[in-house]
Amino acid sequence: METFWEAFKRHGVSRRDFLKFATTITGIMGLSPSMIPQVVRALETKPRVPVLWIHGLECTCCSESFIRSATPLASDVVLSMISLEYDDTLSAAAGEALEKHREEVIKKYWGNYILAVEGNPPLGQDGMYCVVGGKAFLENLKESAKGAKAVIAWGSCASWGCVQAAKPNPTTAVPIHKVITDKPIIKVPGCPPIAEVMTGVIMYMVLFDAIPPLDSQGRPKQFYGNRIHDTCYRRAFFNAGQFVERFDDDGAKKGWCLYKVGCRGPTTYNSCGNIRWYNGLSYPIQAGHGCIGCAEEDFWDKSPFYQRLTTIPLPSVEASPDKVGAVAVAAAAAGAVAHGVISKIRNKGGK
Amino acid sequence: MARVVVDPVTRIEGHLRIELIVDEKTGKVQDAVSSGTMWRGIELILRGRDPRDAWAFAQRICGVCTSIHAHASVRCIEDALEIQIPKNANYIRNIMYGSLQTHDHLVHFYHLHALDWVSPVEALKADPVQTAVLQNQLLEKYGAIAELVPDPIGHRAYPRKFPKATPGYYRAFQEKIKKIVESGQLGIFAAHWWDHPDYKLLPPEVHLMAVAHYLNMLDVQRELFIPQVVFGGKNPHPHYLVGGMTCSISMNDMNAPVNAERLAVVEDAIYTQVEAVNLFYLIDLLAIGQIYVQKGQVYGGGLAKKRVLGYGEFPDEPYKGIKTGDYHSKILYHCNGVVEDFAEGIDKAKYYPMVGKDFADPNVIQEYVAHSWYRYPDESKGLHPWEGITEPNYTGPKEGTKTQWKYLDEKGKYSWIKSPRWRGKPCEVGPLARYIVVYTAVKQGHIKPSWMDEMVVRQIDLISKVLDLPPHVWLPTTVGRTAARGLEAQLGASANLYFLKKLYDNIKAGDTAVANMEKWDPSTWPKEAKGVGITDAPRGALGHWVIIKDGKIHNYQCVVPTTWNGGARDPMGGQGAFEECMKDTPVKVVDKPLEVLRGVHSFDPCLACSTHLYNTEGEEIVQVKVQGANICY
Repeated sequence: METFWEAFKRHGVSRRDFLKFATTITGIMGLSPSMIPQVVRALETKPRVPVLWIHGLECTCCSESFIRSATPLASDVVLSMISLEYDDTLSAAAGEALEKHREEVIKKYWGNYILAVEGNPPLGQDGMYCVVGGKAFLENLKESAKGAKAVIAWGSCASWGCVQAAKPNPTTAVPIHKVITDKPIIKVPGCPPIAEVMTGVIMYMVLFDAIPPLDSQGRPKQFYGNRIHDTCYRRAFFNAGQFVERFDDDGAKKGWCLYKVGCRGPTTYNSCGNIRWYNGLSYPIQAGHGCIGCAEEDFWDKSPFYQRLTTIPLPSVEASPDKVGAVAVAAAAAGAVAHGVISKIRNKGGK
Repeated sequence: MARVVVDPVTRIEGHLRIELIVDEKTGKVQDAVSSGTMWRGIELILRGRDPRDAWAFAQRICGVCTSIHAHASVRCIEDALEIQIPKNANYIRNIMYGSLQTHDHLVHFYHLHALDWVSPVEALKADPVQTAVLQNQLLEKYGAIAELVPDPIGHRAYPRKFPKATPGYYRAFQEKIKKIVESGQLGIFAAHWWDHPDYKLLPPEVHLMAVAHYLNMLDVQRELFIPQVVFGGKNPHPHYLVGGMTCSISMNDMNAPVNAERLAVVEDAIYTQVEAVNLFYLIDLLAIGQIYVQKGQVYGGGLAKKRVLGYGEFPDEPYKGIKTGDYHSKILYHCNGVVEDFAEGIDKAKYYPMVGKDFADPNVIQEYVAHSWYRYPDESKGLHPWEGITEPNYTGPKEGTKTQWKYLDEKGKYSWIKSPRWRGKPCEVGPLARYIVVYTAVKQGHIKPSWMDEMVVRQIDLISKVLDLPPHVWLPTTVGRTAARGLEAQLGASANLYFLKKLYDNIKAGDTAVANMEKWDPSTWPKEAKGVGITDAPRGALGHWVIIKDGKIHNYQCVVPTTWNGGARDPMGGQGAFEECMKDTPVKVVDKPLEVLRGVHSFDPCLACSTHLYNTEGEEIVQVKVQGANICY
């Protein structure tokens, strides 16, 4: 398999542009500039990794998000950095020819390919609520995972179950870790995940030939280490006690905090506040809507979305972010408590 | 007779299987089976929830035509609760909708469909210099198409990104393709039927032009959705609000979701849409389409020849309600209607309008399950969405085992998709359907045409001149279906310029409201209410139906585009548009049915959309038979 640098050369990229690229992605991955030489070395020596991207119960929003990545561009990822060998949405081929190709790739790259899973398997009706090539997606998933080096759970469907697993979960849809138990799984939740988070995760894996550092729930720390609330540009208004009381009121025009109209930012771990969407263009809170917590487990069953979290005291003067954050976590459901623990460890580490 | 299975059908959203029964000697498709092979149950999940949240759940029906289900959902709830949204919210929703049409159609053409027409292998044989010459000739030849876009804003000094018709541009892309092919790691191009004779229909230069644009547009397409990101905060799945939008407008506050700088970002994106469509998409489409038609490929119309259906879009101003009829009196895109027998000529085509009351009439729109994996007490009859019964009845295939299919049973049940019918008859929906409805309605004098209707007619007449064929010959075909999609992308971009100007003018006049919050509090709602939300999604007519009781969703049903097009046959023997299209398409190489794949792709299938509806054994869901029709009309 050829290395990135070889692939780049093949595409006529100059050494200078190659180094520029290495510097940029080092920044995107949240690494310090001292890591640039390592990134360059990795790019020079690591081969392009074959990737199989399979789809279960889902709406394809993760794929759609992925192709909107700007840094790096999705086209560079797909055509130069990885070798995307199978993808229901992007593959030219169809039917048996493609299924055969998948089997060949599994054999040829046994133990060396990455399996990306978008969506999840339903367990009901022997898995036949999601059928690919005449058999249950569940079988397809198990088969594809066996020889994989690592598995990426794209989005909230694969990570947590998401909308089809919301009550009453008519198809018995389960997150993929309930089915694949013997492989490292990198959860990249979000409905969908931010494009640059998705490409950032792949960049890390192919460059360092390792899975990125994960939190206790299996999410890459570099992207899921903060609550939206921690990095929100409206946080200052929260601290100052300036709130939108009703959509489109004066506070809404001034861009004040959306907490009282149901924002889940205080209990949601994701990069929306810092990376934002579309290469920094906006994110839901910037468009005036509270965060619905789409990267969190069971967020659909924590609706109605417009009901505020009741127990966070509303400060009228500056409060310590840690204090507010800690209360927020205590108020949230059990799953969120683990976040608080991680958050504390991280904070200690930072000090 | 050969039975050919294509499963999975790729480059679509969701999971689709097709089976063909082909006469190997003649290549004639005797029968075709289309099966949706997954379902998720989102409407059932919606029951008992807050109606103000419904848009977010319903939106997750599809992440490709993202936001369209949210759009239908907020309209549905607003119709039930009789909420009229502010002018700005209407303009903004229209811009988000127009951006969706433009983006979705363009991505479909290049990234989900183009490789059925053009091949990277053939592109290697092209001369980059001649390719540049060709594109310039085509821009000259089809230049008039760009002039169809009215520009009420007029801020753009010159096109920024397009066209790049230089030898260097094409040489670079050819080099890129060559390296991928030579590396042996074909990635997404692997295992396709590149040796199919249809790839020889076009000269290599057309292949290179289109494949270069396929790669180029992979990078550019993201910019076309910027209006949704500014107004809705993200994409896919931007945010909506019952009663309007959340993106408050202020020219005084620097943190306002919408201010002069944000509007400039939107304006720039809309001009990028116009340029991408006029200078890339339509030129490629016309170049490919004209050659295919010249070579006699005027098949694949299927059901479009017989019957098409649309619901209508782009309310010029806010409306009071949908079921009251006010929505249809305000719209600019009059594709609300059914047209029968268009293929027999514009004089013989029959036109039936679709208006508010039709959506509440239990006899107009019904769903059947005779050949779908569900059970009705009487499967010879259809049910209106408000009366829908959902009881699973998975029966397995005709050959094979329950968990390992060989062939599906077209005489029994064979799909997770129901069969919606208009007055008991199957209809094709989508851009082609909408264009046929508008063209017929205008030419036969049924409506007073708006500027959008006039634009549609001018587009169709222009293409008819280029092809030297009347619309009833070229429109109801696979090529025509693909062309209508491109033309509608141009209509969407034009609508965006129009509504952005209206938004500017309204803000200038002092109106900055984006949300009507009078009925936000559930205590202001009636004890029981019913609503309809309709729109025309990229893939066709979309309707959501809701019943709200005591502030909660009591029943929620969607009848979606791919259910219309891809549904199973009905008990009367009627077949959906996918199956009719396949039967209307000859196959050259039986085990590589590229023409059929191209035909099915021309619908832009979206299977998560069509297979979201149904119940399973999850019997905690009470199956309520709702008597809808006579409660609130």
